[in-house]
Amino acid sequence: MYRYDEFDHQMVEDRVAQFRGQVERRLSGEITENQFKPLRLMNGVYLQLHAYMLRICIPYGQMSSRQLHALADVARDYDKGYGHFTTRQNIQFNWVALKDIPDVLAKLAGVEMHANQTSGNCIRNTTSDQFAGAAADEIEDPRPWCEIIRQWSTFHPEFTYLPRKFKIAVTAAGSDRAAIRLHDIGLIMKANAAGETGFEVYVGGGQGRTPHVAPRIRDWVSKADLLSYLEAVMRVYNRCGRRDNKYKARIKILVAETGIETFRDQVEAEFAAQGAEEKVALPQEEIDRIGAYFAPPLFDGEGGAEAFEAAQAEDREFARWCRINLHPHKEEGYRSVTISLKPEGVPPGDATESQMRLVADLARDYSLDDVRVTHEQNLVLPHVGIGNLYTVYLALRSGGLASANAGLITDMICCPGLDYCDLANARSIPLAADIQTAFTDIQEQEDIGELKVKISGCINACGHHHVGHIGILGVDKKGEEYYQITFGGRADEKAQIGEIAGKGLRQDEVPAALKRVVERYRSVRTGKDERFIDAVERLGTDPFKEALYDAD
Amino acid sequence: MTSVRPKLKPEQFKAITGWETTTGDVIWMRGDGSWTKIAAELGAFAGEAAEEALAAAQADEAHVTGAYFMQVTEDGKIDGRETLRESIRANGPTCHPQFAKGGR
Ligand code: SF4
Repeated sequence: MYRYDEFDHQMVEDRVAQFRGQVERRLSGEITENQFKPLRLMNGVYLQLHAYMLRICIPYGQMSSRQLHALADVARDYDKGYGHFTTRQNIQFNWVALKDIPDVLAKLAGVEMHANQTSGNCIRNTTSDQFAGAAADEIEDPRPWCEIIRQWSTFHPEFTYLPRKFKIAVTAAGSDRAAIRLHDIGLIMKANAAGETGFEVYVGGGQGRTPHVAPRIRDWVSKADLLSYLEAVMRVYNRCGRRDNKYKARIKILVAETGIETFRDQVEAEFAAQGAEEKVALPQEEIDRIGAYFAPPLFDGEGGAEAFEAAQAEDREFARWCRINLHPHKEEGYRSVTISLKPEGVPPGDATESQMRLVADLARDYSLDDVRVTHEQNLVLPHVGIGNLYTVYLALRSGGLASANAGLITDMICCPGLDYCDLANARSIPLAADIQTAFTDIQEQEDIGELKVKISGCINACGHHHVGHIGILGVDKKGEEYYQITFGGRADEKAQIGEIAGKGLRQDEVPAALKRVVERYRSVRTGKDERFIDAVERLGTDPFKEALYDAD
Repeated sequence: MTSVRPKLKPEQFKAITGWETTTGDVIWMRGDGSWTKIAAELGAFAGEAAEEALAAAQADEAHVTGAYFMQVTEDGKIDGRETLRESIRANGPTCHPQFAKGGR
C-alpha cells in the first residue's frame, strides 16, 4: 500500500498543528462557532445529536494492521470503545471530545492517517472496489489510480470551495462493487480498441433528495490524460454549478439540467482549451512510482486445499461461511474474506476495540497486512490462503465476527439515523435490528439468497436506500416515525433508482411486510439462481408492492 | 447550530439546550441559568424570560455551542413534535443501551 513520503508527513503534521491552534481559539472563546464550523468540518469534525463526531479517512478503504490498531486505540482512549465504519469506506467516532481531537489527529498522523477532506465542499475520499488488487474479475489494480487521484485532489486550491461535496469512485472489475454510477464521477478501467487500458467516465450520479444514475460522458480517456480530463469536468462544474441553492448544487443537478450532451461538449471544450502548461503532467515514471506501492505481493501458493476441504466437510457452519463470505481471488489458492459487521443485534458497521484488534492481527498474520472497508459497511481480508481459512474463521467466530450473511438480507447498509444523526427524521438502526430478528434463521437467509436491504433515516440517503433491492427511508409524520419502502434499486452495473411502493409503514409493520415480500419472491422465482433483484427485473415491482400491503 | 429546529410560540414552555463546547456533551439550562448534563434538572421558560435565557446562552459560546429552544411542558417534561429526538438526546441512543444517559 501507499506509504507517506516526507512531504505527506509534513503536510499532515502541519495540518494537525494548525487545527490544534484553531481548537484552542474556539475553546477560549476567541472565535465563534460560526467562524469555527467550516474549519472543524475541513478536519472531519461534525456536531451530532449527542456529541462531536470525528470522521477519519481510509483512502479507498485500505488499511494496514498498524493503522487498524491505531483506530482501536482511538476507540479505547477517546470514544466509548467502538467505531462505526461507513458507506464511504471511512470510520466515524461518535463520542470524541473537541478538546481531545487534536491529540487524536496527531496520533493518527503517526500511522499515516488523517481526517482531511472527509467533509466540506471539496473532493472527498476516492472509493473503490473492496477486492481491488485481489479480485479475479479485474483487468488491473485500480488502487494506484485512486492514490493518484487522492494526491491530485488533496488540498487542490482550485477545488477546495466547490458548489458542493464531490465524490469519485474507481473500479477495474467486470462486476461493479463500488456503486460507480452513483458517484459525481465514476471511473471504470477498460481497454480501448488498441488494447490500451484507460477509463470509461460517468458523471453526475448521486443519491440524496434527487437521485440520479450517472450517464456516460466519455467512452475512454487515457491514463496520461485522466487528471487533465477530471480537471476539465471539475472546472465546468466549479464554474456552472449552482451556489444559490444547496439542494441544487451537486453536479448531478447541473448535468441533468444542462443535458449530458451539452455538458459533454462543455467539458470537451474545456479539455481542448487546456494549454500544454495547464495539463496535469502525469509522466509514466510517476505512474510507475505510485504503482510500485501496489505491486502484487508475493503469493507463495501456500497449499492447504485438502485441509480446507476437510474442515468444510467437518464443520457445516464453516462450510456455509465459505459459501457466503468468500470471494474468488486472482491467485490460485487464495480467497478474499468478507468479515460481516452485521451480526444480529449490533448496529450495522460497528466494531469494538477488541474486534478491530482481532481483525488487525488476522490481517497481519494471514492477509499480507492488508484489510479493507467495504461501502456496505463490512471489512475484508483480501488475501487469505485457503489453508488458513479455517484458522481465520475460528478466530473471527471467537470475536463475534463470523456471521455468514455477506450479501444476504441481514447484511444491511444502515445509516446512523435518529439515534445519532442531527439531520435525521427517523431511527434506522432499531429497524435494522427488527429485520434481522425477523430473518434470524440463517438457513432461510441462504435460501433467499442475495438481497440488499438499505436503510436511511432521512432523504440525504447516506444509507443508500435509493439503490437497495429493498430500500427503506425513514420519514417523520407529525412527530411519528414512518418508513417508505422502495423496490428494484441497485448499485451494480445495471444501476437504477428504486421505485416507491406506496404509503409509509410504521416500524412495527415493516418486518412482517418484508416477510410477505420475501415469501412472494420465493413463490414466483424461477429457481434459486433467480435473485430477488432478477425477479423484480423480470416481473416489475407490482407483485412485491401487493405483498407489502397485503396484511390480511 | 447544526440543523434547523421548528419555531415555537412565545407562550409555549421551552428549555434551552445545546452542546458543551469542550466535550460536545448535551447540556440543558437549569432554571437559575446554570448548565446541567442531566435532563431532569432542566428549567422551563416562557415568554420574555425564555428569549433572555436563550440570548444569554448564545452569548456564552465558549461554554455552550448551538443553543436552541426545545419544547417542554410547564413542569419540564419533553413535549411537542420533537419529543423523540429530544428524548434520544436526553436518554442516549436507543440502539446502544449501554450508553444510556440520565434521561428525563
Ligand atoms: S441519511 Fe439522514 S439520518 Fe441517515 S446519516 Fe444521512 S443525514 Fe443522517
